[in-house]
Amino acid sequence: MNLLVWTLTVPLVTAAIGGLGGPRKFKEAVMVGGLLLTFALCVATARAFLGGAVPAAFGDALRVDGLSALMLVLCGYVGLLSATYGVGYLRRNEARKLVTPRMRREFYGLIPAYVFAMLLVSMSNNLGIMWIAVELTTLASVFLITFHDKDTSLEAGWKFLVLGSLGLAFALLGTVLLFAAGQGHLGEGMAALNWTHFMQAAPSLHPFTLRLGVVFALIGYGTKAGLAPMHTWKPDAYREAPSPAGVLMAVGMLNGALYCLLRIHLISKAALGPAFSGDLLLMLGLLSVLIATPFILVQWNLKRLLAYSSIEHVGIMAVGIGLGGEAAAFGALLHMTYHSLAKPVAFFSAGTLAQLHSSSNFDRIGTGTFSRAPVASGLLVLAALMITGSPPFGLFFSEMTILKAGFFSAHVTATSIFLAALVVLFCGFAFQIGGIVLGPPRDPKDRRVPQPEQFDVAMVTAIVAAIVAIVSAFYLPASLLALIHAATQVVWGSA
Amino acid sequence: MTTSDLLILCAAGMLVSAYLMVGQKALFTAIRLYGVQSLLLGIVTVTTAVSESRPELFVTAAITVVLKAILIPWFLMRLIDRIGIHREIEPFLNVPASLLVCLGLTVVGYRVSTGFPGGAQGVSHHLIGVALSMLLIGLFLMVTRKKAITQILALLTVENAVFLVAVGVTPGMPLVVELGIAFDIIVAVLLLGTLVRRIVDRFESMDVSRLSKLKG
Repeated sequence: MNLLVWTLTVPLVTAAIGGLGGPRKFKEAVMVGGLLLTFALCVATARAFLGGAVPAAFGDALRVDGLSALMLVLCGYVGLLSATYGVGYLRRNEARKLVTPRMRREFYGLIPAYVFAMLLVSMSNNLGIMWIAVELTTLASVFLITFHDKDTSLEAGWKFLVLGSLGLAFALLGTVLLFAAGQGHLGEGMAALNWTHFMQAAPSLHPFTLRLGVVFALIGYGTKAGLAPMHTWKPDAYREAPSPAGVLMAVGMLNGALYCLLRIHLISKAALGPAFSGDLLLMLGLLSVLIATPFILVQWNLKRLLAYSSIEHVGIMAVGIGLGGEAAAFGALLHMTYHSLAKPVAFFSAGTLAQLHSSSNFDRIGTGTFSRAPVASGLLVLAALMITGSPPFGLFFSEMTILKAGFFSAHVTATSIFLAALVVLFCGFAFQIGGIVLGPPRDPKDRRVPQPEQFDVAMVTAIVAAIVAIVSAFYLPASLLALIHAATQVVWGSA
Repeated sequence: MTTSDLLILCAAGMLVSAYLMVGQKALFTAIRLYGVQSLLLGIVTVTTAVSESRPELFVTAAITVVLKAILIPWFLMRLIDRIGIHREIEPFLNVPASLLVCLGLTVVGYRVSTGFPGGAQGVSHHLIGVALSMLLIGLFLMVTRKKAITQILALLTVENAVFLVAVGVTPGMPLVVELGIAFDIIVAVLLLGTLVRRIVDRFESMDVSRLSKLKG
């Protein structure tokens, strides 16, 4: 059977087994094993691509080029981390008798299903399949957001589903309009919606219909990516979702939505030139970075803080793509890669602190966590340094690449605003994290005693993720770098 | 009556149903209106299939009628029967003002539709004009109404508008894609329904304006 089909089948089967009953140990083994195998298959696909092949299936509806290969590897990696951390996460809750059978079924079923949908997004070459896959990610994640079944999680789930469905209705309209724009030039049947056909037919697409379609599609998929001003679901969803699901949203879903934005942008670029959709992305990206800034400064909840950081990062990537040029595109993709490696550390350490204190609100966590949970606090500081782009970590280099490209482009004013926002964001984030980790230890008379930190599989996962993220800053494997370059070629040809 | 008359009549009927939905407070009637709207979409699809001899559109029409004119309305009616809430409360904007806004939205929709190839005349002008107007009205309903069910109906109206565009300006989406989209929509409605029930159980109301704890 085809390599791509295997890559999709494995997480799907894992989800099916996890969703059914069965002893806990068995389900844990299936989820970790299944997603480990999935990651291996993603890497194998990327290797096949680097070896010169173009893996494809179902008449090119699924097709792996440089961009897809990079997405697959990152998605597979995060899926695996989420599974191993998830096992530890649920064990901690089991120990405190917080887990119902419904939760077990949903957790072991939906996490692999979510990974499946994201992999399907990353390898889809057909705009119709891409839309269906993005909708699947939305459907798979709703019950992960309402997982804890509290008032606030129902609210977050409702907002997420309604806003997400609306965004997807826009994306569907965009897809239909793109299809209409290419009438008579795209061929027959299923293949007519293939991205590769759109690229070939780009010069003959009907300009008005295409413009309208691109705007709708960018707003639609932008909603899924969490670009401002369509970002409002994100803080709620991130806060309510358990951390293993949160990391899938913050990395997998973000990358997947960015993939869709890129595909649409590339069609628009080939047909109308880089300025039309590029400027739109630049505007949305800049707005995201600017909107995230005040909310990070006044934030009251640790996981919402991470959500605003995620809005900031998707903004940075959109700016990188919107600026145009090979260097900026490379910067954006490098940023995506380093972000995917660094963000899990932030989620796992923040998730651990939230779990120990039974809440992610700052007032419940209190200050001076370093004395209570040294490992999680240390990792949180490390993660904060990484995701705010401090040297010597990877995101520093990618942000510098984008900034440099920006100052050499026609968008100097936009780049200057962008740089100023990044500086404020860095200070705001450092202030918030510093406040939690350092500061005076907890009031001994406070009766809500936090749980002690334990050395378990979740902590090991967090430490391993941190080591990978640190090492990647100094030594990026040649094959991964080759993938990023291949993806850059897709995004900004050799022109 | 010629084919194009029938198409325009059905499209106009869809627009009227959207307007009635805006002026309606009884939830049962709003759901029925949605059913009628979907049925009209089905007729538009069948007529196009016959007149332009595109047999694959029959499948689309069948999916539309079975799913959106029968199954989804039935599911939503059962849902409000179970939870026992039958009326929309006072919307954020009163009905006469809402209808005036919708009139403006229709003008915008028709204006935009002139930019399409061959959009300035004939049937496709009306189909696209109606579709874009319905899209805007759906969005408007979504932001001004408080009941969860009305929000679902608004979302489904937007979805119908997208399908009307698909019938009006494309030779029909590929069948596999069409099936996938239909599957996704039905799952989405089921999930929305489940969430509504959970929200009603918890808040003893499906007034989504009460979902306002999460801020900042």
